[in-house]
Amino acid sequence: MTSVAIGLFSAPQSALSAAEKLNSAGFTTAELLSPIPLEGVEAALGEKPNTIKRFTLFGGLFGACFGFILAAGTAVLYLHPTGGRPIITLPPFFIIAYEMTILFGILATVLGFFISARLPALKERVYVPEVGVDKFALTVRCKNAPELSRVQTLMREAGAETVRTDEETS
Amino acid sequence: MLVEATPKPASITYADVNRDVVRSLVETGPRYYIALTSAFGLTLVCFFFPWFYQLFYGIGAAGMNHPAVWGTYLSNFIFWIGLSHSGTLLSCVLHLTRSSWRKAMYRSAEAMTLFSLMVAATMVMVHVGRPWFIHWALPYSNQMELWPNFRSPLLFDVMAIATYLTGSAIFIYMGSIPDFAAVRDRTSGWRRHLYVLLSLGWRGTDTEWHRLGWAYTFLAVLIIPLAVSVHSIVSWDFAMSIVPALHQTIFAPYFVVGAIYSGTAGIVTVMFILRKTMHFEQYITHVHFDNLGKLLLALSLIWSYINIVEVFTGWYSGSSAEQEALKYKLFGYYAPLYWEMILCCAVAPLLLISGRFRTSLVPMLVLSIAINIGMYTERFLIVGTSLSRQYLPDAWGLYVPSLVELSILLGSIAMFVTLFLVFVKIFPSVSIYEVKETLPTPAPKADTATKGAAP
Repeated sequence: MTSVAIGLFSAPQSALSAAEKLNSAGFTTAELLSPIPLEGVEAALGEKPNTIKRFTLFGGLFGACFGFILAAGTAVLYLHPTGGRPIITLPPFFIIAYEMTILFGILATVLGFFISARLPALKERVYVPEVGVDKFALTVRCKNAPELSRVQTLMREAGAETVRTDEETS
Repeated sequence: MLVEATPKPASITYADVNRDVVRSLVETGPRYYIALTSAFGLTLVCFFFPWFYQLFYGIGAAGMNHPAVWGTYLSNFIFWIGLSHSGTLLSCVLHLTRSSWRKAMYRSAEAMTLFSLMVAATMVMVHVGRPWFIHWALPYSNQMELWPNFRSPLLFDVMAIATYLTGSAIFIYMGSIPDFAAVRDRTSGWRRHLYVLLSLGWRGTDTEWHRLGWAYTFLAVLIIPLAVSVHSIVSWDFAMSIVPALHQTIFAPYFVVGAIYSGTAGIVTVMFILRKTMHFEQYITHVHFDNLGKLLLALSLIWSYINIVEVFTGWYSGSSAEQEALKYKLFGYYAPLYWEMILCCAVAPLLLISGRFRTSLVPMLVLSIAINIGMYTERFLIVGTSLSRQYLPDAWGLYVPSLVELSILLGSIAMFVTLFLVFVKIFPSVSIYEVKETLPTPAPKADTATKGAAP
């Protein structure tokens, strides 16, 4: 079991400045939970890599190849000559490739989102229901009691309205 | 210039948004049940019974016959595909351009897309006559060596519509995950179980928001060219034939503009009804109608221009078949329908020049319905009348829809309404988190006198 310190803030500015202080104090596991996406969160908690773009790119490329091979492969395997025109006709097959680029791009983007955002959640995680309405919460996983106490002090100093502790299975 | 949504009254808080949206989901009055039962009953009586009748007696139950072998089923199909075009497409464009007025209305607009596509797909089933062979359109190997012809626009259609349906469903779902989580904590019983599943354990962490933001933007970027391709491909179903009045290069932009036009009018209709019945007056404001009105005006002018070009190219073509088709369209048996379409889609929308008209909700509702009647007529004229007047006079004939076809048209509208009524009780029909983004963020306790700006 890991203790998780939770600080509740009513204003995003306070939560962001608290996040910045905790991050600079070396608590890199700090997470900021908010009812809306906040600008400036990366400045406070550090830049986040964008891995989804690779999923989208490779999904799209795979889709393009899949679409073209599907159409061209069908034409080659099941020959249907019409008026001396080429068996592999590029303009219509590019349309199939175009649609499949988008389809697989979309599917890969969703897959990338689920993997990188760690959704769906397969185990219980610390959750703050007030965040679904109008509160902003900071959570920090602490290894021991002194660390927990230090984090709670930092949160109170930064203007947390409520500070509480929860347990999370590691 | 489109106007950004006016700031909400300072009295609206984040908690109010949660409360209002949850109320729209859980508080269900008798009027809702009456509407749902009527719509569902009408779907059964007007859509499924006539369809089963047609399946039993054969496709002859419809009025389609030589030479007009395409009828209202295909008109319905194009109409519903067209109606689907503004929801997700407009939502994506406005998301990428960061237009804040999108936020209160996009969820319902996207739902409109999804349900229109479902109804359109059902219309294909009705049109093909033997829907139990519909899987033959899918590319899989079978022992008859019957593979789909990838050179045909009809198969482009299968690919494009399947992709658009998948993309639209994913787009509306992804945007709703944070809202499912917000609603999950305020509901009970079966709803809570449903929202626990749908929200996937969303907590609103900075990482989740970051990932959702990027994924949503990538989806928007992918869906815009997809939406344009879908209706271009639908137009090629006709334009790639050598039927006079259909074999035209302008058909793809004509269909795309027409689709966005009818879809935007559909959004106005849906927004009006949603605003009244769900009491969303604070969220769906006159500014939304004003902006949609400006968009409709611009689209009506582009649509009118394309119609003028279509008439001009027919006249200038020098082809006797084209000129005959044009003459038949303007002055023939179906001419009253053509002029009704011009009145509804080119003349009446000029009222939108007036700002007062755009912000008058009932006239906007009437106009939006009139535009969609006009746009349905356009699809009927394209599909139903072109085949009636082809090259040889001995192949000329009239097409008049049968009662079965008219009933299925009415039933398809009822099916759309039924699906939408179910949607408004499952999905938060106004996006909770995006509406919150337009509100002033809460200020720190020590500074509650002044509302703080978003960091």
